[in-house]
Formats: sequence, structure tokens, C-alpha cells
Amino acid sequence: MSANVETRLHELESLTRSYARYSRSAGGMSSVLGGVLCLSAYLGGPLLPATPATRAVLIAIPAAWLLAKGWMVRRYYQRMGHVEQLETPQERHMHWFCVAVTLLVAVILTTSIGMTALQHAWSLPAGMLGYLALLWLLVVAAWRWLRSPLDFIVGTFLFCQAAVVSAGGFYPLIGTTHTHQGMLMSLVALMFPLAALAMIARGVAEHRQFRELRLRLEQLRGAPAGES
Amino acid sequence: MSTPGRLGEVMALDRLVHEPARLLILAVLSGAKEVEFGFLEQMSGLSKGNLSSHMSKLEAGGLIEVKKSFRGKRPLTELCITPAGRRALAAYRRQLAAVMQELPDPAAGTKRR
Repeated sequence: MSANVETRLHELESLTRSYARYSRSAGGMSSVLGGVLCLSAYLGGPLLPATPATRAVLIAIPAAWLLAKGWMVRRYYQRMGHVEQLETPQERHMHWFCVAVTLLVAVILTTSIGMTALQHAWSLPAGMLGYLALLWLLVVAAWRWLRSPLDFIVGTFLFCQAAVVSAGGFYPLIGTTHTHQGMLMSLVALMFPLAALAMIARGVAEHRQFRELRLRLEQLRGAPAGES
Repeated sequence: MSTPGRLGEVMALDRLVHEPARLLILAVLSGAKEVEFGFLEQMSGLSKGNLSSHMSKLEAGGLIEVKKSFRGKRPLTELCITPAGRRALAAYRRQLAAVMQELPDPAAGTKRR
């Protein structure tokens, strides 16, 4: 009897923990969407013609992804009710580290752009204002929504690509540029499509796990308290 | 262990935690930071009134915290287990395991090991 009670308690705790993951660190299909959007932004920036419409789409991608992510959580993954994940100290430290890094980069870039603007009587092109706005939105997004390392990498790229596009550029594809800075940038940017592929694979796996979890929860649902 | 000793351990089980519905509530809450009332209602299969009654007892005992707010115009009730609640649940599990281990197995006529 004790072993049975203990097993049931452990199962309830474990099922709740698994379900709660979909409030923060597990994305399921929203991770798949993030990965696909990351690949699209990575390839679309350099390969598509730089029309205002293309630029508007690339700039809108991060916000569209975050909205879709929130919608999927509410409408699908946490449909039985919101259950907030209990983060481990390591996850919490990693998250705050990522937020601190984006904050530091935002402060450095804002200071640098501000000093350049100061030399030109505070005149900044509209694109640079958009760049700064997206940079600071990234800090907010990292704090509020980008909870797992892969989410953080992919989200960072989407915001950075949007910021660079708003300033009139894009991250170059590897092999398409011959300047030292361009080659370095394309090498660094190469990690983003790789992260996107990993995120798609993880998203598919998480979605499968969720379907199994949902079946188990449905079996438990409605069972008398003493038996569940 | 002597019979009075075993009886003492059984009697020492925390009755606030020992009730099945409350034990279920604590087990669910221990797996998350915050749980919406609706999720708990579906997991437990209890009626709203029954669940609220058990929640009140656990809240009065300081084992859970109940937060009431609004999401838009809809009332929202969220629950979380307190550190005292986690300790009580862990202690209960240890006590129960110890008690059950000491009880004789009716089939074998010996103590459970």
C-alpha cells in the first residue's frame, strides 16, 4: 500500500512537472515554428530582394514568433489550466546570465551609437533608431519569453537580424562575402541555422512527449481522489 | 518495534496531509511553481466546492498559498505550495514508508522489508 501511495504521489508530481514545462522551457510546435522562422530569416535576408515588404516581414518575424508562442501555450499546451514551471537554480542562473549578456550588449551598443550621434549633432538615421529599439526589445524578450538556451539563441538571432535589416543590412551567408569583417560575421551567424535545426528537432520531440502526456492526463482526469 | 511504538507512529501521521484529496493537492502542487485552480480541479476529479474546502484547510495550515486575481473579467485562482508544505509532504512520505515497513505482512506473517 505504501509503495502504491508513494508511486501515485510520485506520478502526480512528475506529470504536473512535465505539464508545467510547457509554460516555459518546452515549446513543442512553437519551437518548430521558431526554428523554421530562424532559417527563413537567415536565408531570406541575403537571398530575397531588399524590398520594403521583405524588410517589413523580416522585422516583424520576432514579434510574430513570440505572439504565436504565447498563443500556442494558452490554446494548446496549457489548455487544462496554466501551471507555471518550477525552475531549478541552474536554469534560473542560466536565464539571468542570458538576460545580463543581452543587457550588457545593449548598453555597449547604445553608448557607442550615442557617442557617434553626438559627434554629428545628435542626428541618427531612422533605421538606427529602429535598430536600437529592437535591441532593447531583445532584452525584454530575453527576460520574459526566451527561457531555454535554444530559445535564447534563436530569439537573439531573429531580433538581431530584424535590427540589422531595419538599419539597412543583413547577416551575410558564409562564402558570399570576402571582407574580413563580413567573413567573421557570416561565421558567427552560421551557429544560428544550426541552432534552428536543433530547435526543430527538439520541438518535434517535445510535441510527441506532450501528446503522450495529454493521454496520461486524460486517463487520470476524473478518477476519484483516492485512486488517482 | 513494539505495538505501542507502531501505534505512536501511525498516530503521528500528519492528519492535515493524510487525507487523500489533500495529499493529491499537495502532490500536484509540489511539481510546479504555481497551479491554476482549473488544472487541479481536472486532475483531482473533485467538485469545485469540495476542492475549495480542502484548499482552505491547507491554506489555514500554512501548507499552501492561494492567490486570487482577475484575468480580464474572469476570476483567476492560483495555488502554490509553501516551503512548510513541501517539508510536511516530505515528512509525511517518510513517516508513511516507515510505518508500512514495520507493519506485519498478513500474507507472510512477517514484517515488510
